[in-house]
Amino acid sequence: MTTAQFLQNLLNGISIGSVYAIFALGYTLVFSILGIINFAHGAIFTLGAYFTYTLAVGQFGINGLLSGLNLDLQVPFALSLLIGAVLAGLVGVLLERLAFKPLRTRGADSLLALVSSLGVALVIVNAIQYLVGAEIYTFPSQVYGDIKPAIMFEISGQPVVVRTVQVIIFAVCMVILALLGYVISFTRIGKALQAVAENQTTASLLGISVDRIILVTFFMSGFLGGLAGTLVGTSFGIAGPYFGVTYGLKGLAVIVLGGLGSIPGAVLGGIVIGLAEAFVPPDYSAYKEAVAFAFLFIVLLVRPQGLLGRSLIQKV
Amino acid sequence: MNDFLQNNGFLIVTMVQQALLAMSLYYPLMCGQLSLASPGFYALGGYVAAIIGTIEYFAPWRDSLGWVIFPLEWLAAGIISGILALLVGIPALRLRGIYLALATIAFVEILRVICLNLTITGGAIGIFGVPQLFESRWSYIWTFGPLLILMLLFSYRLDCSRVGRAFKAIREDELAADAMGINPTRYKVLAFVIGAMLAGVVGAMSAPFLNTWNARQGTFDASIAYLAYVLIGGSRSMWGPLLGGALLAALPEILRPLKDSRLIINGLVLVFASIYMPQGIAGALGKLRDNVGRSFGFFRGGK
Repeated sequence: MTTAQFLQNLLNGISIGSVYAIFALGYTLVFSILGIINFAHGAIFTLGAYFTYTLAVGQFGINGLLSGLNLDLQVPFALSLLIGAVLAGLVGVLLERLAFKPLRTRGADSLLALVSSLGVALVIVNAIQYLVGAEIYTFPSQVYGDIKPAIMFEISGQPVVVRTVQVIIFAVCMVILALLGYVISFTRIGKALQAVAENQTTASLLGISVDRIILVTFFMSGFLGGLAGTLVGTSFGIAGPYFGVTYGLKGLAVIVLGGLGSIPGAVLGGIVIGLAEAFVPPDYSAYKEAVAFAFLFIVLLVRPQGLLGRSLIQKV
Repeated sequence: MNDFLQNNGFLIVTMVQQALLAMSLYYPLMCGQLSLASPGFYALGGYVAAIIGTIEYFAPWRDSLGWVIFPLEWLAAGIISGILALLVGIPALRLRGIYLALATIAFVEILRVICLNLTITGGAIGIFGVPQLFESRWSYIWTFGPLLILMLLFSYRLDCSRVGRAFKAIREDELAADAMGINPTRYKVLAFVIGAMLAGVVGAMSAPFLNTWNARQGTFDASIAYLAYVLIGGSRSMWGPLLGGALLAALPEILRPLKDSRLIINGLVLVFASIYMPQGIAGALGKLRDNVGRSFGFFRGGK
């Protein structure tokens, strides 16, 4: 591998890895509070991309209920990205109220939360298909404004190509990560969130409204998922209502790699898996999809608490 | 009646098939292990049958053995699935709860990507023209039906055997079971292998039934579908997976008049069933029986 190829893979890996990181943080936040995995997170990822597409483009193809619809709103992309993510966050809140809270109040088996969240995922994915069909939608190439599509430079005579989209994705992810880090570490609500993650009963005794914190968590989780969906959508297109499923699964690999419930772990896991995928030799590119899961499997066998997780102590 | 069977044969056989796959997930769950690996072994079993049924190497065998090749395919699929389950299960079953579930999801995905890329499995296209055992879809009830009855008898006997009691003891409290001299690892691996072998055999029976086999047979969606069968049916008795598998497999067909929105309703059913029937259908029926029994004065002093 030449230096140029190495650098190319490194840049590709970091860019996609940063999206994996913010997407996986959505799982992590919910897991750290409730100890469950939200299987609808992949569907919210998809939904975020569709929300943004609707706001920014507003044109739909020939299938589905909304076919031929032509919305006359040309919301600037940066704004529609934000609104799309906020709407996805609100769907996250709705999801918690519909699928998780009733189970919690009944003290049901935590496995049932997997099934009910999957039920919501089915509803979301099929509602999208019902409304706008299973077509592939792509954002217009100038969605980020009038900028060059790629930056090219040479290293020892060989070209390295960095798509502008990749740079923007990376930048947006870093801003979001910094913001999230600030909110969790330094604000009142973030500290309350940490307290609830540590121990719900104690937190509620200290006067924290656990129910409200759970809602905030689901909003942040949905926001991150929806934002990741849009970012991936601008880079690779929205490949139909099911395009979140693969990312949903990879996100699971990311959080296990980093350690379930660990926020720095999710970021590290995202970058590691992004890089690992980018460095798969072209001859084996068909196996790229399996890389994340190979990681997941091996990490679970060797270090089940993940790279940065706390090991579980079993009490009798 | 005959018309009915001809028209709905495929659906009825599918219901039995899905009930069997639900049972394959039920055995590990009997000792408290949430394994979602069944679709992987199901896909593997199907590939074994499809490969034996189509490639040149086995042609003389197929010609000389006739229909006997089919039971041999089932046997081969069961054995291969069992061996792989043993290899995967021994390290993986040290994990608990959600970690085991995630490891088995990873296993299914890795297996799927491998099958998608090997030449022997037909790559992304899969294997076509798997030889048929029967002419009509409905006739396949003669393979799946007896297997279901066999598995029900097996589960019934298992329930009151030493092994079954060990499974339940581990489910209730693994440490306590260990302290009583039950080797948890051994029984957990055993339950995992039983489930995997069943899924493998069902796969081998399904390849001729579906006529084609490809990597879409074993996916994450299937993992969760089977989990839903067991949990919605009821995970505490063998009737749960049976009911859950059969009813949920039929649900998209029952909802067919709703056309495009049927899968949305299907999702809602999953949500509401988990909320309002936390013990599953079998649990809800059991409660109903207790209530009715009590009001008529039967089963006095019951629960």
